Amino acid sequence: MSSETSTESQFSGDFPPQRSDSLQPWQLFTLAGLIGATITVFLSRGQSPAAVILLSLTVFAAAAVGIAALRMVMPLTSKARPDSTQVLGGRTRAVLERDKALVLRSIKELEFDRAMGKVSEKDFTEMSGRLRARASRLMRQLDAGAGYREQIEREIEKRLGKAPVVEVAGLCSSCGTKNDADARFCKGCGKAMETRS
Amino acid sequence: MASLGYYLLLAAFVVCAYAAAISVGGARRRSRALIESGIGAFYLVTAIMAAASAVIVYAFVTGDYSIKYVQRYSDSTQPLFYKLTSYWGGLDGSIMFWVALLSVFGAVAVYVNRERHRELIPYVVAVISVVEMFFLFLMIVHNNPFSTYLTQNPTDGAGLNPLLQNFYMVIHPPTMYSGFVGLTIPYAFGMAALITGHLDDSWLRAVRRWTMIAWLFLSIGLGLGMIWAYEELGWGGYWMWDPVENAGLLPWFTATAFLHSVMVQERRGMLRVWNVSLVIMTFFLTLFGTFMTRSGIVQSVHSFGQDPVLTQLFTTFMVVMLIFSFGFVIYRMPLLQARNELDSWLSREAAFMYNNWILLFSAFFVLFATMFPTLSEAITGQRITVAAPFFNQWMVPIGLIMLLLTGIGPLLAWRRSTIENLRTSFLVPTICGIALGGTVVALGIPIWSSGLCFAFAGFVVGTIGQEFWRGARVRQQTSGTDMFTALVGLVGRNKRRYGGYLVHVGIVLMFLGFAGSGLKKHETLLMKPGQVVQVGGYGIRHDRIRVTDDGRKQMVTAEITVLRDGAELTKMYPARWFFRKHEDQPTTEVAIRRTLAEDLYIVMPQFEAGQQSANIEITVTPFVNWLWLGFGVLALGTLIAVLPETTFAFAAARVPDAVKAATASMILLAIVTPAAVQAQDGGVVSKSPQQRQLEQKLICMCGSSGCVHSTLENCPMRPVCHGHTAQTGEIQSLLNDGKNLDQALAAFVEKYGEAVLAVPRNTGFNALAWVLPYGLGALGLIAIVLTARRWSSHPAAAVAGGGETQIDPALDARLDDELRNLD
Repeated sequence: MSSETSTESQFSGDFPPQRSDSLQPWQLFTLAGLIGATITVFLSRGQSPAAVILLSLTVFAAAAVGIAALRMVMPLTSKARPDSTQVLGGRTRAVLERDKALVLRSIKELEFDRAMGKVSEKDFTEMSGRLRARASRLMRQLDAGAGYREQIEREIEKRLGKAPVVEVAGLCSSCGTKNDADARFCKGCGKAMETRS
Repeated sequence: MASLGYYLLLAAFVVCAYAAAISVGGARRRSRALIESGIGAFYLVTAIMAAASAVIVYAFVTGDYSIKYVQRYSDSTQPLFYKLTSYWGGLDGSIMFWVALLSVFGAVAVYVNRERHRELIPYVVAVISVVEMFFLFLMIVHNNPFSTYLTQNPTDGAGLNPLLQNFYMVIHPPTMYSGFVGLTIPYAFGMAALITGHLDDSWLRAVRRWTMIAWLFLSIGLGLGMIWAYEELGWGGYWMWDPVENAGLLPWFTATAFLHSVMVQERRGMLRVWNVSLVIMTFFLTLFGTFMTRSGIVQSVHSFGQDPVLTQLFTTFMVVMLIFSFGFVIYRMPLLQARNELDSWLSREAAFMYNNWILLFSAFFVLFATMFPTLSEAITGQRITVAAPFFNQWMVPIGLIMLLLTGIGPLLAWRRSTIENLRTSFLVPTICGIALGGTVVALGIPIWSSGLCFAFAGFVVGTIGQEFWRGARVRQQTSGTDMFTALVGLVGRNKRRYGGYLVHVGIVLMFLGFAGSGLKKHETLLMKPGQVVQVGGYGIRHDRIRVTDDGRKQMVTAEITVLRDGAELTKMYPARWFFRKHEDQPTTEVAIRRTLAEDLYIVMPQFEAGQQSANIEITVTPFVNWLWLGFGVLALGTLIAVLPETTFAFAAARVPDAVKAATASMILLAIVTPAAVQAQDGGVVSKSPQQRQLEQKLICMCGSSGCVHSTLENCPMRPVCHGHTAQTGEIQSLLNDGKNLDQALAAFVEKYGEAVLAVPRNTGFNALAWVLPYGLGALGLIAIVLTARRWSSHPAAAVAGGGETQIDPALDARLDDELRNLD
């Protein structure tokens, strides 16, 4: 039970569960497994060592079942559901990047093959020219589209629309140091922070 | 305990269903919470299966004989090790073990890829969960390993089959299953890519390493099975083309094809449909293999359908899976279209296509030949047998072509090879091949097929050596270091390529092992105590027969002294063990003297304890150990290829040289020790060549599970097999009557039916067995030619389009810069 409350508290933030630094449910079940195994060993005195070890392993497996069950239920019980976080768009760009890497590697391979005497000079010039032309075309295409960062920022702007400045909440008004959202005094200059309601 | 286990299985089934449903739901509604919960459920299945496994192993260890499965596959006198491993000794437990392994593999795969391939993960979870659900369903309704006796609990178990009480047989199934199960992961990712439509190469990158690991497990599993057959069955060979063995080989072929053709997609973006199809086929064949191994078809082709429920369930699942998978392939066909262009017939791409053709052909041939008896019985109602000689007739040339391609492929350049570079690259390997082949033939080894095998092996080794040498030299020139560092750098920079070459070296060693088995000499002798026989370089003296008992089994051991030039070389102890409760199934304990050049392999199939005389079978097989060595090299090469990109493979870089040196020395060693067996008479009863020929052509018809599919010569049950004794007796009397080979064969067919022939006769429906493989092979070749023709019409347009673009010098400089950084 205590584990459930702890997960809820850690899940109320915007962070996904696995980013949390608290490992309590995990520890709880490991502890339960250890205690269970100890009890089992005491109860099953007189059995062969192999049997005792296996019983302990069964108890540990049960503890693992507990952890995994929690892992299954956890995302559903959280109040803040971080919805629609999947990657959208941008695939064409990834494809271009991938294509470019592919062409570059082909050029590299071709040069290696020529060095190993597997390609004649005439073929090399022809193929290399074609590949290089393709590579530079891809590079130009990539340049034309904006960089990832701008793209992401544009995307954020588009989605959040009216409230683009959430992070400002933690900025100190006098020195500009970034503080925790609920900080009352700035850790940079010590002045009192403006409280936002 | 039993009901706990059963409830755990039920729980696992429910959780699997939940995982599948909620993952798909989460992916469709784009809900992170649902997807995360699905992943959690997926981990939960693993934990539940771990608990269930612990429960059943506990039952084995404590001897809970109220559980039928435990009672059937263990007994109280069994050593702890075999008690633990009895878990996968039988059908029900092995299905459970399958699910447990799959859940572990799946959980690891999902854990590793959950961030990188976020869009695929929910469907990966769903696909694997559905597969697990099927096997769990099998257990729940039909093959429950936890089912108990309702009344009268037995006090002791029946014991594991003594043949399986062998170290290799204990680790063989887990390795094999790991291979099978591992191949489910690429399938799951492939299907996820098809379902989501994210069909760029990212799913390939996710599964590449998994496929290699699974392939490694499969290879090692096959190798362990061979070692087991060699050491335990006692017929002097290691591969009988038994359905069980073939079951493991089928996905191996397609997985190998996939590992090769995936390179074409990575490099050139071609063959997309083909790669997805290969992944699906591989998974289908693992299912089919499990099915063949587990439905009773294993013991005997004749008992196919003995377990109709299991057969039906499996067939339904396989059909549904095929329709579902290929349905998606067709649905996604527009996304899978790629810019396919083939510049030349003599290019690496084309070589990969030939390679795929031959591997696929092998897979389908083996599948077809394995299923042919069942097919024939279903259609004509006539029982026939397709045994090792038939397979060998086909697979020897196929294997040789494959070996040759192994050597040719790496020599061809991507896109196009000119006459000039063909000449420079083929020169050294060809010389190597001709030199080795010539030497071997000059030493009296027949050209077909062992001599040719040696020549091709020389060619391949020449190719690989040249690749390493030239690559290292180029690297040495560009980086300006010494040769050794260059070699290390070469392997370190391109682990997959050079690891792959190392795998090829392993394959070559294996082929030499196969070539050796073609030179096998086999003698059966009846020996009295004190008698000495000269066999090859060895003098074999039978000293006496000793009978001992260790409480679990009675052991009858022959004491044999091996002499060389009159001096005692070693003592060997072939034996037969009669396990309690399995007295009718004595095991053959083979005595083997191993050297790199040849194995001296002694078996005692029959004995007369009163007179102290024994039937001794002596087999001298050259190069067997190279086969095992080949597996070792193969494993090493795969490990290098699997290593993460960042690992610096300095340790591995030395291996090729060592291997080559070892190979060279072994070849020398083998050449100076020609393996010839000359049996001298001296009161020794030995078989006539005609009789031996007939024994190779006829199948043991006793119908017991141990001898199905084996020719009389190879029957592992020989001494206790009544069918065998009767049939050899008949052969002898027929030959004594002055019948020739054909007449004797006809007489046998008349008495036992067509099934007695190891190779089906080329008449009526059976002609299909001969026509179909040819037809299939030709069809595949035609398909390749047609596709290649279609693809090779593209490049003209591509050149025209590419030539027009003027390259901006700044861009060109940047390109050069990026190319430098790529190294």
